[in-house]
Amino acid sequence: MEALGRISATDCVKLCHGVVDGLCGREPPCRSDYSATWSLEEWLQLLDYLTGLFSLAVGSNVPDEEVLVKLSDLDHSHAEAVRSVLRARQEEIRRALLTRTNSISSATLQDFDWQLKLALSSDKISSLNTPLLSLGLDVRENGALRPITMELNREELSMLVSSLEAANKVVLQLK
Amino acid sequence: MEEVDKILIHALRQVGTEVGEDIDRVNQFTSELIVEAVVKCIRVIDPGLGGALPTSLPPGMSARFRVGMSLAQACQDIGYKGEIGYQTFLYSNEPEIRSLLMFLVEKLPRESSETSDQPTGKSAVLHRAIAAAITAQLAVSWVPLNCRLPLHCKTQSKAASHSFHVHPLSLPHCTKGQKSLKEVKHYQRDILFPVTAQFPSQTSMVSSILEQHTAELSNAQEWDTEWKSQGLLSRLTPQEYHSRKLTRLRKRIEEQLRSAAALGSAPSDLILTKGTHFTHTQKFTFTQEVAALTSPVHTGRQLEGDTQPRQQEELAFLQQQFQQLCSDVEQIAADMKHISVTNAQVFDELKQMELDNVENDEKMQVKKKTIDLLPDADSNLQKLQSQVEASANRVVNLASQWEKHRAPLIEEHRTLKEFCSSKDLESSRKLSEIKSLHEKIQVATEEAKKKEELYKQLVTELESLPQDVSRSAYTQRILEIVGNIKKQKEEISKILSDTKELQKEINSLTGKLDRSFAVTDELVFKDAKKDESVRKSYKYLAALHENCNLLIQTIEDTGTILREIRDLEEQIETENCNKTVANLERILDDYKVIRQENSTLAAKVREG
Repeated sequence: MEALGRISATDCVKLCHGVVDGLCGREPPCRSDYSATWSLEEWLQLLDYLTGLFSLAVGSNVPDEEVLVKLSDLDHSHAEAVRSVLRARQEEIRRALLTRTNSISSATLQDFDWQLKLALSSDKISSLNTPLLSLGLDVRENGALRPITMELNREELSMLVSSLEAANKVVLQLK
Repeated sequence: MEEVDKILIHALRQVGTEVGEDIDRVNQFTSELIVEAVVKCIRVIDPGLGGALPTSLPPGMSARFRVGMSLAQACQDIGYKGEIGYQTFLYSNEPEIRSLLMFLVEKLPRESSETSDQPTGKSAVLHRAIAAAITAQLAVSWVPLNCRLPLHCKTQSKAASHSFHVHPLSLPHCTKGQKSLKEVKHYQRDILFPVTAQFPSQTSMVSSILEQHTAELSNAQEWDTEWKSQGLLSRLTPQEYHSRKLTRLRKRIEEQLRSAAALGSAPSDLILTKGTHFTHTQKFTFTQEVAALTSPVHTGRQLEGDTQPRQQEELAFLQQQFQQLCSDVEQIAADMKHISVTNAQVFDELKQMELDNVENDEKMQVKKKTIDLLPDADSNLQKLQSQVEASANRVVNLASQWEKHRAPLIEEHRTLKEFCSSKDLESSRKLSEIKSLHEKIQVATEEAKKKEELYKQLVTELESLPQDVSRSAYTQRILEIVGNIKKQKEEISKILSDTKELQKEINSLTGKLDRSFAVTDELVFKDAKKDESVRKSYKYLAALHENCNLLIQTIEDTGTILREIRDLEEQIETENCNKTVANLERILDDYKVIRQENSTLAAKVREG
């Protein structure tokens, strides 16, 4: 933690914002920018520490004074920098943590993509005119991203849609 | 004729002939224009035949002559029956050109009939367009990256195959509230990148922004519908409704988790919340055991001797110990439960006893007082009675007072109640009004959308059907013309019947005249034999008759001559139309030109 004192307070603000970006699902800070300042081990520890601090502070609504107590082994300007980042990004961090909590089940849908295609003909039929939907699902399963791709014709698609609607109904009833 | 000319010129323009805006009659056509129009028509009717023909007249006179000849031949090949030759094109006269052009325009293939054969409708048109586009794209051959023209970029560049991936964004307006914090402002002003710079790759930018906006939109819509359907009925402010829903959901989730925990029973580590006391203790002992287990294994491995049996033994022993501990723990837990239950029981009993005690105390005090009062019983009794009476009086008094107060209070309560119920009614009425308004708004917006779409569709249809407008105009004009012709026919038949009647009258008059003349002639002739003066009158009569006949003859002759004059005038007019003199002059000029060309050619031959 004292390692944070090796950079200036403004750089510290930048780094902390980078860490929060990583927490919110965007690009985390790049190690190559700081490779001269910290060794790999120190870098990883620092990242872990900051991420943990931010999650804890926002997740359990720790007041500012306690955060400052935790940062007491840093000098004042650095502690102030971390605290200001925390206050500025509180809402975003809260959202990110909520999203994480929402995806509590073993597999969650991360992203999806679809393309509608029209098959005009096949090797056996000269004029087919069948619409086909190719659906790509990015499923996060135990932390690893697993792409699932499938092609559906009209009936299969309506089946999928009806089952999804039934699931939605169950969710609505839960509300 | 003007109508016909307009139709002809319209058709020729559609074929591709550049007819000037100021030309609206066939007799204004120049030779060049005629040749161009005819060649364009022939090319549309029969591309093989028309391909060899030039669209403009060459400068040389003999070449022009040859072009005219070939054009005439082509027209005859197509099936033109009328009189045609080079002179038709070079020295045009109006009726010939008109009949030729009419023939050619009629021969033109009907585009509209072709299109009406194919299935119409939006989807069919779209299908055909897609098929055409794909065949066109398939016809384009693949080329390496460096050789690509703009034509290939659309279909062969990698951009078409980018998938739709989304990255989370940080936008200022997402974080509502706490705007006043200066740290937030500082972050948004100095550190936050613009939204276009927040992505690792440019390709995900559009998709991310779209996704973000769709999410926000659907969120707002969902809230809107929920608020309209349930929120309004609950009669709370949005914030209150929100917080109430939050607490309800929280309670529900807690219940669900608790029931799941009860079903799943103790040892699964996945259950996060509110394990029982027992699970906590078990977890604790279990982890301790594991720690105890791992350390001897670690040391045993260092020895590397034949410690296998010993280890086994140790393991068995430890397991036994563990099981025993488990059972101990279970027993202790059961004991604890039992003890806590008995503890509660004892506590209850204690409370009961204390209550009893207090009651007994009170009873005892009352009894003590009565014992104190016993010696002077009568006076005490009287005192007590007077006291009782006084208190009874007071009670009555108080009751009457209370009654006094009560009446207006009850009245007020009633009025307030009524007021409340009326307000309730009004509010529910207003609620239903709001609901119906919402529904109306929705219906109206949907209708508006539908109408807009219909309007768009109709506009596109209108744009795709510009020819049919003129066609309807044409049919209308044709109908008008037919009506005119019918009228004219009626008039002609009327005139014909008039003429016939006149003829009949004339015939009957002539017959009458003949008969009366014959009678008169006979009578006068009879008398003429007897009387000299009568003979004279007979002579006069004969002369009169002869003169009259002569007169009639002359009138008839005049009529025929007038008719002939009219015919001749018409002939002159048609000849004038044919521009014979001008054409003759042109022919003479052309003849001279040809002779000149011939002589120059001959001179060249001689020189050569």
